[in-house]
Amino acid sequence: MSLDPVTFEVIRNALVAATDEMVLSLRRSAYSTNIKTRADFSCAFFDAELRSIAQGFAQPVHLGSMVQQVPNAVRGYGPENIGPGDAIITNEPFPGGVHLNDVMLVSPVHWEGELVGYVANLAHHVDVGGGAPASIGAFREVFQEGVIIPPVKIVEAGTLVQDVWKLVLAQIRSKHETGGDLRAQVAANATGVRRVGAVIGRHGLGTVRQAIDELVVYTERRTLAELERLPHGTYEAEGYVDFDGYSDERVRLHARVELRPDGVRFDVTDSEPQRRAPVNSTYAQTYSACAYALKCLIDPDLPVNDGFYRVLQVDTRPGTIADCSWPAPVVGGWETQTRLVEVIFRSLSDALPGGVPAGTKGMMCHAGFGAVDPELGYWCFLETFGGGYGGRIASDGPDAVQAHGQNTENAPVEETERGYPVLVERLELVEDSEGAGRFRGGLGLRKDYLFPRGPVTFTVLADRDREGPWGLFGGLAGRPAEYVHVADGKEHRLGSKSTLEVQAGGVVSYRTCGGGGYGPPHERDPELVLRDVIEGKVSAERARSVYGVAIDVADRRVDEEETRRLRA
Amino acid sequence: MSYRLGIDIGGTFTDATLVDEATGEVRIAKVSSTPRDPSGGFLSAAERILAEAGVAGDQLRYLAHATTVATNAIIEGNVARTGFVTTDGFRDLLEIQRQVRSALYDVHFEKPRPLVPRQLCFGVRERVGPDGSVLRELDEEHAREIADALGAEGVQAVAVCLLHAYVNPAHEQRVGEILAAELPGVEISLSSSVAPEFREYLRASTTVINASIQPVVARYLQGIEERLSSSGVEADLLVMQSAGGVYTAEAAKRRPVYMVESGPAAGVIAAAELGRALGRLDVISFDMGGTTAKVGLVQDGTPTVTKDYQVGSAAHAGVGGFQFSGYPVRTPVVDLVEIGAGGGSIAWIDSGSKLRVGPRSAGADPGPVCYGKGGTEPTITDANLVLGRLSPANFLGGEIALDADGARAAIEERCAAPLGLDVLEAAHGIVEIANAAMGNALHLVSVQRGYDPRGFVLVAFGGAGPAHACALARDSGVETVLVPRSPGTFSATGLLVTDLEHEYTAMVLARLAETSQEVLDAAFAPLEEAGTHDLQREGTAPEDISFVRQLDLRYVGQSFELTVPSGEPEEAARRFHAEHDRAYGFSAPEEPVELVSVRVRAVGRIAKPALPVLAEGPLPDPKERRPVHFAEVGGFVDAAVFDRYTLPAGVRFEGPAIVEEYDSTIVVHPGFAADSDVHGNLFLRRT
Repeated sequence: MSLDPVTFEVIRNALVAATDEMVLSLRRSAYSTNIKTRADFSCAFFDAELRSIAQGFAQPVHLGSMVQQVPNAVRGYGPENIGPGDAIITNEPFPGGVHLNDVMLVSPVHWEGELVGYVANLAHHVDVGGGAPASIGAFREVFQEGVIIPPVKIVEAGTLVQDVWKLVLAQIRSKHETGGDLRAQVAANATGVRRVGAVIGRHGLGTVRQAIDELVVYTERRTLAELERLPHGTYEAEGYVDFDGYSDERVRLHARVELRPDGVRFDVTDSEPQRRAPVNSTYAQTYSACAYALKCLIDPDLPVNDGFYRVLQVDTRPGTIADCSWPAPVVGGWETQTRLVEVIFRSLSDALPGGVPAGTKGMMCHAGFGAVDPELGYWCFLETFGGGYGGRIASDGPDAVQAHGQNTENAPVEETERGYPVLVERLELVEDSEGAGRFRGGLGLRKDYLFPRGPVTFTVLADRDREGPWGLFGGLAGRPAEYVHVADGKEHRLGSKSTLEVQAGGVVSYRTCGGGGYGPPHERDPELVLRDVIEGKVSAERARSVYGVAIDVADRRVDEEETRRLRA
Repeated sequence: MSYRLGIDIGGTFTDATLVDEATGEVRIAKVSSTPRDPSGGFLSAAERILAEAGVAGDQLRYLAHATTVATNAIIEGNVARTGFVTTDGFRDLLEIQRQVRSALYDVHFEKPRPLVPRQLCFGVRERVGPDGSVLRELDEEHAREIADALGAEGVQAVAVCLLHAYVNPAHEQRVGEILAAELPGVEISLSSSVAPEFREYLRASTTVINASIQPVVARYLQGIEERLSSSGVEADLLVMQSAGGVYTAEAAKRRPVYMVESGPAAGVIAAAELGRALGRLDVISFDMGGTTAKVGLVQDGTPTVTKDYQVGSAAHAGVGGFQFSGYPVRTPVVDLVEIGAGGGSIAWIDSGSKLRVGPRSAGADPGPVCYGKGGTEPTITDANLVLGRLSPANFLGGEIALDADGARAAIEERCAAPLGLDVLEAAHGIVEIANAAMGNALHLVSVQRGYDPRGFVLVAFGGAGPAHACALARDSGVETVLVPRSPGTFSATGLLVTDLEHEYTAMVLARLAETSQEVLDAAFAPLEEAGTHDLQREGTAPEDISFVRQLDLRYVGQSFELTVPSGEPEEAARRFHAEHDRAYGFSAPEEPVELVSVRVRAVGRIAKPALPVLAEGPLPDPKERRPVHFAEVGGFVDAAVFDRYTLPAGVRFEGPAIVEEYDSTIVVHPGFAADSDVHGNLFLRRT
C-alpha cells in the first residue's frame, strides 16, 4: 500500500525545506567571505541507511561528493558510537573525502531514541593550515596541505568538545573567522536535526520512512524515464589539465561514457597516474563530476537523492589522477574534477549536440592570499573567479560566470577592501577573449589585486593558461587565461600553480579564459556581431578578421556588401 | 462628509476601496487591470467607485495608491535609456553581477540582461578607499567627457555608483552635479542617496533600477495627478512603499525604487493594522490571489522587513535557497515568502507519475478551466469547485459563471486517470499539495526566523486565501484565523490605514562597545533632521512627527546584519545577542559586536478611519445548503452556506460551512467554528 500522493509530496518538500533552513542558518551566521558571501558550502539529509535523501541549495560539486563522504565518515567512526546531540567533524581525503579545505559536519537525527538519519553540511574554509595562507599551493603531498581531521566528535551530547576544538584551531591561521564558521556549521546541523524531527513529529516515523522509500523509488523511476530518452551508446573523449605546477607535460584525462536505458557508466580508468603535484582528484571528487554531468543531461526538476545516484556507476583506477591514493596532494582536485566534466561533455557532443555547451572556463581558478597584520593578526582570503561559458546550440555562452559544479559568488570589492589590507584595482570583462562561433563563447573577466602594505603570500591555483576552452562544430577556442604579477611597473607571467611573495605596491592580475564558440564564426548573425562591437565586447577588427563581418563603427551598422564579400 | 480612497493595481484586477472617514463605512469596486496603460484601470476604478457612492472629487481627503508599474517596467524591459557611471576599472559591474548561474543543472541558463547596455557604462577616473579617504582625486574633465558621451547617446536617466561612496559621497555628488549641469532634463540617481550601504553590485543595481524606472514612473504618476486634478480631486496622491508607509507622488518620482513591492506591502500593512485595531499585535498575513500566495509576518505590530530582494526573479513551486534570476534591490521590502500557488496555479503529473501543483499559472487569461475562457489545464480553483467549496453561481457575486463539469472533466483526464485516482481524490490532492507548499512558506517566515506561529493570528485574504486558511491553520498549529471583510480587496484597505514614512540610513562601522549614547545621538541627528524636513514639506504638522531609531548590528566578521531597536550600547548589544539567538539558534556574547549603520524611520502620523460597527443579531438562515467535500470526514457532507453580508455581530456557527461574499469564499472546515465580531470580521478557531 503506497502513500497517498499528498502525504508523499508534503514530506518530500518538508525534507528539502529542512535542508534549505540549514543553508539559511549557516550562511547568515558565518564569518568568512568565502562562506557567508560566496556561499561555498552545501547541506543535505541522509537516512539511517546512509542513503542521500534531500539536498538544500548547494554547490553541485559538493552534492556528488557528500554522497561518498557522509557514509564514509559515519562508517569510519562507527554509527553505534554516535549518539543524540553529537556531531562528527572530518576533512579526511582518504578514503572517500575531498580536499582539506572542505570541512564536513555530520549529526545524527534520532526520534524517540531511534536513529532516523543524518544531517550534514560541508563548507570550504578559508584556511586549514598547511604550507601557505588559504591552504592552497603546489604541494607535493597531502601532509603539506593542512590539518587532517579524521572523523571525530566536535560536539558530544550537545556540548562542544573543547579538546578537539582547540586542537583543530591551533593548526589554523585565521582563527577568528574559522571559529565563527565552525560555530555556524554546528548551528546549521542543530537546525537540521530540529526540522527533520518536526517532520517526523507531524507525520509519524513509519510514514516518513515509507515516504523516503517511495521517494527513492520515484526518483529512480523518473531518472530511468529520462535515460530512456538519451541516445544510447558508448562515447569517449580525452582532455588535458594544462599544467601540474612542475612539469611541462600536460595531464591527461580520459572518459568513456556508456549511456544505457537502465543506467549510466562512467569509465575514467584510462586517465594517467597520479602526480606529486596539485592535479589529483579523489574518488569522491571524480564521482561528483560524473553525477553533475549526468544531472545536466536530464530534467533539472528531478530531485537529487539515492534514487538518482543508484543508476550511476563510476569506474576508476586507484592511483590515477581521477582516483588518487594516499599520500597524494589533493588541494587541486576540484580543478581536475571540473576539467573532467568538460571531457565528459565533449565525449557526448556528437550524440547530444543540443545538450552540451562548447568548452567553458572549466577550472576553479583560485586566488588565495594572506599575511600577518599588526591589527588583524594572521588574515587569509580566498576567492575563485568566473570566466567565459561555452556557446550553446542556440545561444551565446554567458560572460564571466562560474561553470559546472562551481557556482560561488564573487567577493564584493567593498567588502574585500573593508576586511583585508588589499585594494581591487579593476574588475572588468576581457574584451575579445571569446571563442568565436555562430554562437560565441562568453568573455573572461579580469580582476587585479593591489597590496599597498605587503609583503603578502599569494597563491595561484588555477589552469587554462595554455589552451583555451575548445570550440565545437567549427567554433573557435576561447582565449587562454593569464596570471600576472606586476612589480616595479613590469608584468611577469605566473604559472597556474604558484606561490609568491608580493611586496608593497605589487599587483596580481587574473585574466580568465573566454568560453569556446559553437558553430563556424562566419555563420554568426551579423546583427549579433554588430551588437558585440557596439558594446565593445568584440573589436571591429576582430569582427572583420574572425567573423567576416564589416562594421561601420561611426554609423553603428553592418556594411552588408563588404560582409558578403568577406564571407564569400 | 469626507472620504479616503485606496487604489490597488494587481496583475488581474484593480481594486478600489472607499471609506467614509466618520462612520468607517467601506465600499469596494473591482475593475479589470489595464496592463498596457495602468493609469486607465486606476481612473476607471476611481470614477466607478465615486459615481456609485455619489461622492465628488473634492470630498476626498486622502488618496493612496499601490501599483506594480515599477516592477512591470523592469520585467517587461520597458525602462528608460539609462547610463551608468562608476569608478574607473569597474564599468562591467552590471555585466559581471555575482558571476553565478541562476540554474545549477541547466546548461542553457542565461544571466539577467543588464538594464544598462555596456556602451552606456563608464568608469570615471577617481578612487575613494574603504575608510573614505581619497586615493585618487576626481578627474572632473573626464566626468564632463563622460557626460558628453552620455548626452550623445540620448540617455534619459543616469545612475552613479562610485566605490565606497556610502562612506564618502563627495566624488559621487560632484559627478552628479557635473552630469546635471551637462545633461539638463536627465534624471540623475546617486547610490549614496538611493541606497547608502556597502557591497558595490547590490548598491549599483538598486541605483540603476531607481534611475531606469524613474521616467516611466514619473510619467505615470504625473498623468494620474493631472486627470485627478481635472476631476476636482484636491488630495495629494500618496504611494505605498515596499516596506509599508506611504510617500507623496513627488517623493515617489525621485525614489521610485522604494515602491517596487508596493502592492504586496499594502496587504501586510492592512493585516498589521487590523491586528493592531483588534489588540492582536502578532499576525501572519496570508494573501492568496490568482497566481501566487504570499506569506508575511508582523511582530508586535510591525511587519518584518528584508533587504534581500530581487526584482523580476521567477516564482517557485516551493521554498528554495538563493536565486539570481532577477535584479537585486537593497531598499527595504516587507519580508514575504511568495510561492507559485494561487487559484490559477496548474496541477500536472510529472515524469515520475506524481501529482504536482504550480508554479505555472493559467493566470487571468485563459484562467482556470471553469472560467470557460479556453483553459484546458486544471487549477486549484477548479479543484475547489469540484470539491463543492466554491459555488458555480456565486463567483465574484455571480459575474463569472463557473463550469463545474469542465473542471471535473479536466481533473479527471489530466490528473485522476493517469494516477488511477477518482476525481475527488485528485481534486483533494491538488488542494492539499498547494496547502502544504503554503505551509512551508508559513514555516519559513515564522519558525525558521525563530517565531512560534502558534501565538500568531493568521489573517487570510486575497480572493483565494479564505478558502485555504483553515487547512493552513490546522497544518501549522496556528490557533486563530481572522478573515476581514472583503478579503479580495483587503490589500487596498491597507492603503487607507498607513502613515507617511521615510527611511534614512547612514553607515557608521564601529565597534558598538566603543560608541556611546552621545555618538549614536550625533549619528541619528542629521537623519532625523532630514526626516522632519521631508515630512513637513509633505504637510505633516510637527506634533504628528515621530522617529523610530534602529541599529544594524553584527558580530565582527559577519556579513549579514540584524536590525534591532536603538538604545544605550550595552542594551543594544543585549538585544542583538537575543535576536541572533532567535534568528540563528545561537549567540556569542563574548564576541565583539559591530555597528554597521544607524537607521531612522520618520513617521508622519495620519489619523485612521474608524472601523465600521455592526449590530448584534441572531444567526440568519443559510442561503442554501450544499454538499462539500472534506477528506477528514470521509467525503461529501451537507454544509450550510451563509451570505456574509447578512451576518450580524456576535454570531457563532460550526463547520462544515461556507461563507460567500462578492470577492471571496470562506471555507470553514469540520472541527472549526466561526465567530463574527462587532466589526464584521470572522474568527475561525478549532472547536
